[in-house]
Amino acid sequence: MSNEFQLPPDEIAEKAKEIRKKIIRMNSHAGQGHTGADLSETDILGSLFFRILDINRNELNHPNRDRLILSKGHGIGGFYCTLAEAGYIDESLLKTYLKFDSALPGHPVCQKTPCIDLNTGSLGHGLSVGVGLALSGKMSKRTFRTFVLTGDGELQEGSIWEAAMSAAHFKLDNLIVIVDRNTLQLAGRTETIMALEPLEDKWKAFGFDVHVTDGNNAAKFIETIERLDMHNGRPHAVIARTTKGKGVSFIEDRASWHHKIPIGDQITQAIEELE
Amino acid sequence: MPEQAKIDLREAMVGCFIRAVQDNVNLVVLVSDSTSTSKIAPFQEKYPDRVINVGIAEQNLIGVAVGLSLGGYVAVTANAACFLVARANEQVKNDVCYSDTNVKLVGLNAGVCYGPLASTHHAIDDISIMRGLGNIVILAPSDAVETEGIFKFALEYVGPVYIRMDNAKLPVLHSKDYQFKLGKVDGLTSGDDVSIFAMGSVVHEAYAAAQTLRADSVNAEVINVSSIRPVDKKGIINSILTTKKVITVEEHSLHGGLGTLISEVISEEGLDAKVIRLGITEGHFAKAGPRDEIRAYYRIDKSGILETVRKLLDT
Repeated sequence: MSNEFQLPPDEIAEKAKEIRKKIIRMNSHAGQGHTGADLSETDILGSLFFRILDINRNELNHPNRDRLILSKGHGIGGFYCTLAEAGYIDESLLKTYLKFDSALPGHPVCQKTPCIDLNTGSLGHGLSVGVGLALSGKMSKRTFRTFVLTGDGELQEGSIWEAAMSAAHFKLDNLIVIVDRNTLQLAGRTETIMALEPLEDKWKAFGFDVHVTDGNNAAKFIETIERLDMHNGRPHAVIARTTKGKGVSFIEDRASWHHKIPIGDQITQAIEELE
Repeated sequence: MPEQAKIDLREAMVGCFIRAVQDNVNLVVLVSDSTSTSKIAPFQEKYPDRVINVGIAEQNLIGVAVGLSLGGYVAVTANAACFLVARANEQVKNDVCYSDTNVKLVGLNAGVCYGPLASTHHAIDDISIMRGLGNIVILAPSDAVETEGIFKFALEYVGPVYIRMDNAKLPVLHSKDYQFKLGKVDGLTSGDDVSIFAMGSVVHEAYAAAQTLRADSVNAEVINVSSIRPVDKKGIINSILTTKKVITVEEHSLHGGLGTLISEVISEEGLDAKVIRLGITEGHFAKAGPRDEIRAYYRIDKSGILETVRKLLDT
């Protein structure tokens, strides 16, 4: 099992631009959406789907398919647009985003969309399930890896740390937590609302193999993931530093854009900036 | 009823786990420091790699079970019902039920099993909470034979199941060839004077009350509702059409449990019936103390049921 695209980082950066344009158009069309989060995670998801994940559209039930849990379920808009860019779902579906009984609801629904292993939306659930998946891989001697993409505000949930404790206890070196570290949550800065720093030290103290990287730079992010020692007996935490709203000047790094959408001239301006 | 051996339902459960693995069920049992609560030792000795202890972390217990089920295992969690339904409620709602994963939740020592340990340890809301979650099958065995039938079913069924368990050693109410049937009520006695619906270990109180009533020529139909979802509406209706007098007995809050369920059936069918619901008074936490005294206080013991039947038949 391997990734069907295996694109080089520069081509992934181009894909990320296309995904971001889709996000702007889709959210504007829907009239709602978590635009900031969608744009924050785009380079991470692009890197995963176009290179890192051992996954193939035609073999999603393969026992050794890499698993990805979008624990930050509100980032589903970016996820759908990535799926559309990679051909997992038809691009025309993006126009149904958030509509009544749509195939693309506002949080991940495994019964509706391919590549979703868990219905998320309430924060702090994904890592425990990732631990269980990784444990199942160890117990049944399968080679798939489990990736869990979390937000950073999400790390304020206690259940994350229950899961982290158990991931190290079970020596799950086949588990990779990616933290989309954009330093913003719904109501403002993480460090003002409930400080996460020193975040690297927290994961280290819980027994993780910790790496800090640039989550908006496909080349650096991919290099970090590909250099992980997947046989070191420790789960991995990749703190991916990102900018919420990345790619569109007036959206970048603003808490107010957590679930705002571009309207009118903003749409044109956003698309122009992404060209 | 002659004196007979009493069996801890958890021992019957653990026996089912061992047989399931022998029958090639890819089973894993998760506990949250609840190895003694679940009496899992005989299984753990045989299959140490199939028991996962996540420590005192109920949210993680359920999340990890869900992950294991996604990885192809039949994942069973076994911990005290009070901590399962309350502490891990959202994991049960989203990760087990909404994501429709193949996880079996065993709520140990439910009701007021932990009598004197008070309301943190009582689970008198587990049925009402589980009934609020869309798709989970809800079951409550009344003896060891039924426990075996229920676990055999649950381990074969693909999807979420909640099983309400007791910690009492209970006599066997069913013959060895009893077959648990999902969505069917289990009539233990037949009678046309009054219908007594009960769930879990208080079925024994209802059964004992019916034996005493029989000596007074009162024929009570004792119906064990072990399949709470799906529920056997037809079976319930048929009994009530004959008796028109109904008592429900549960070691559970009167809010959202068995009494509520039976009342829903009665009102939706427009049945002409007089109903008395026995259980933990609505809007209250249960009293703390020895379990038999708690049962007596809420009239969910044999004498409370007898008194209630007589009152109902006099009206």
